Amino acid sequence: MRPENYQAVNHPPSNEYELNFGPNHPGIEGNYAFKVKLNGDRVLEARADGGYLHRGFEKLMEGRLWIQNIALVPRICVPDPVPMEVCYALAIEELCGLEVPERAQWIRVMQLEMSRVAAHLFAFGGHAATTGMYTPMFWGIADRDLILDRFEELTGGRVYHIYNIPGGVRRDLPEGYLGRLSGLLDYLESRLPDYDNLFFTNQVFVRRARDVGTMTQAQALKWGVTGPNLRATGLALDVRRDDPYLVYGRLEFDVPTEAGGDALARNLVRRSELQQSIHILRQVIDRLPEIDGPIRCPIPNPLAWNVPAGEAYTRVESSKGELAYYVVSTGGGKPYRVHVRGPSSMHAVQVLERLAVGSRLEDIAQIMFSLDACPPEVDR
Amino acid sequence: MKDIKKIEIIQRPPPPEPARRTNPLARVFDELVRFCQSRSMFMLHYCTGCGAIELPPAMTSRFDMERLGIQPMVTPRQADILLVTGYVSVKTLKRIILTYEQMPSPKYVIGICSCTVNGGMYWQSYATAKVLKDYIPVDVYIAGCMPRPEAVISGLRALMEDIRTGRGDAWKKYYQNYDFYLGNQQRLFGEKWQTPTDVIAEAHHYGMMTDQTLGEHTDLLEQNEVPLDALRTRLKARTE
Repeated sequence: MRPENYQAVNHPPSNEYELNFGPNHPGIEGNYAFKVKLNGDRVLEARADGGYLHRGFEKLMEGRLWIQNIALVPRICVPDPVPMEVCYALAIEELCGLEVPERAQWIRVMQLEMSRVAAHLFAFGGHAATTGMYTPMFWGIADRDLILDRFEELTGGRVYHIYNIPGGVRRDLPEGYLGRLSGLLDYLESRLPDYDNLFFTNQVFVRRARDVGTMTQAQALKWGVTGPNLRATGLALDVRRDDPYLVYGRLEFDVPTEAGGDALARNLVRRSELQQSIHILRQVIDRLPEIDGPIRCPIPNPLAWNVPAGEAYTRVESSKGELAYYVVSTGGGKPYRVHVRGPSSMHAVQVLERLAVGSRLEDIAQIMFSLDACPPEVDR
Repeated sequence: MKDIKKIEIIQRPPPPEPARRTNPLARVFDELVRFCQSRSMFMLHYCTGCGAIELPPAMTSRFDMERLGIQPMVTPRQADILLVTGYVSVKTLKRIILTYEQMPSPKYVIGICSCTVNGGMYWQSYATAKVLKDYIPVDVYIAGCMPRPEAVISGLRALMEDIRTGRGDAWKKYYQNYDFYLGNQQRLFGEKWQTPTDVIAEAHHYGMMTDQTLGEHTDLLEQNEVPLDALRTRLKARTE
């Protein structure tokens, strides 16, 4: 029986309708949403609806000491926190003219690559789950946990390390650490063929992901795409090779590319990068024991540290793309302005809005996970 | 320096024993129901903040939440637990409250990370709501930034124990003190804030009306009550 105040709603004569996709949705990476206009299950228009994770980082950092911000920056990108710390520390070192000891630089490179492996394992695990394959997700997350164990041994924290401070790193390596890391790399390398069989060459995945969210190289450059997503369109652009920071200039590694530009190509690039990161880590393990010396240079009292006035722009290659910090100091104890150039703000907003048009509703989740966008970094 | 007072350690009083039915058969039945409830919980799949990054390890093969009978569930209509993982910005808090009111009773809330306890790292942020229990009742808090999967599982076990003994009844507080929670929500979202769920009617239905259910803030709700009006005018404009 209908209630007394029932009124029939006259729908407009059209097949088009609007759908709120997220934030409470398993196909969305993190807390993020889309307003999608659909005809049947074809997407006509997609509007990103962010801001669920906005904390006002850039304002918060202006109110805290230079050294306190080290604890704040890894929170900007949760799955891949180490590049955030390193990039912020590099900016302060550039402002102060600090010389980072060589051993600290090697330790930083080691962490950066470990973090990249962990983030890539998490990323393709998430993508597998959106295509209905839960086994790669379980495997990826279980193997990522082994890397988190090594991080915990080194820094004391599983996810947030707060280990890289301006001038170096906080602690030296524990005894026998490199041996255990080497064992972990052997294990991860032995897993790669299994991943190929299960996921990367699996026809269930390949047919599902091919020609989904395709972009050309010109489009990618126009939209500000960086990192693995740009390399999946065939352009070998990598900050580690083109503008070497730390000791990347002395390391051997390839910059893998793919030609497709679709969800499949982006995942294959990540798979090749896993191998390259393991290759870099092996070189670090070989050369780190020969390098003795301090792990950080002397810095002034951190609680009364007036960084000289000036501007610095530093960039590193994170697992999502090019990450940069623009830091302005007026000679005070706190930053005057910090701007974070995160890769995901391009990938999750302007790129996703355009790639989603014309695709099907169930592919939006796939496109988002294949771009490996990180919502906390979009909203900041 | 003579009269230094000894600091009294305030012991938390033990929670009161829940009221039991007198019929022994009914009592056995109640215990059985509560035992079953505590061993089969569906957790809403909503990642509100950074603490969500420790949930995949806790759910998958290494720590395996499923052995406790806890599984993720995609819709709030079928979920029992709402995990609020990390800081809640004001925009997210609206969705949390809408989601919470959609969940069927009995429902339980777990606040993970220090940010839900007192604001945590973002205590001075202009965009976050600091204390979660001002807006919805919370059963269990898990402190830490961020808590390890072991801590998450230990918190879930504490909740299971509360449910089994009948003490996990924070959801009743929402009906009993609706005016307090609504007042805090209105202070944050403005006086015209209202949700599609009729909480007062639900409180009537469950027989949980108290003196604190209705008050000045719920009066405001009735003044502004124009549900679906915006939608109606929009649809009318489109058809004409």
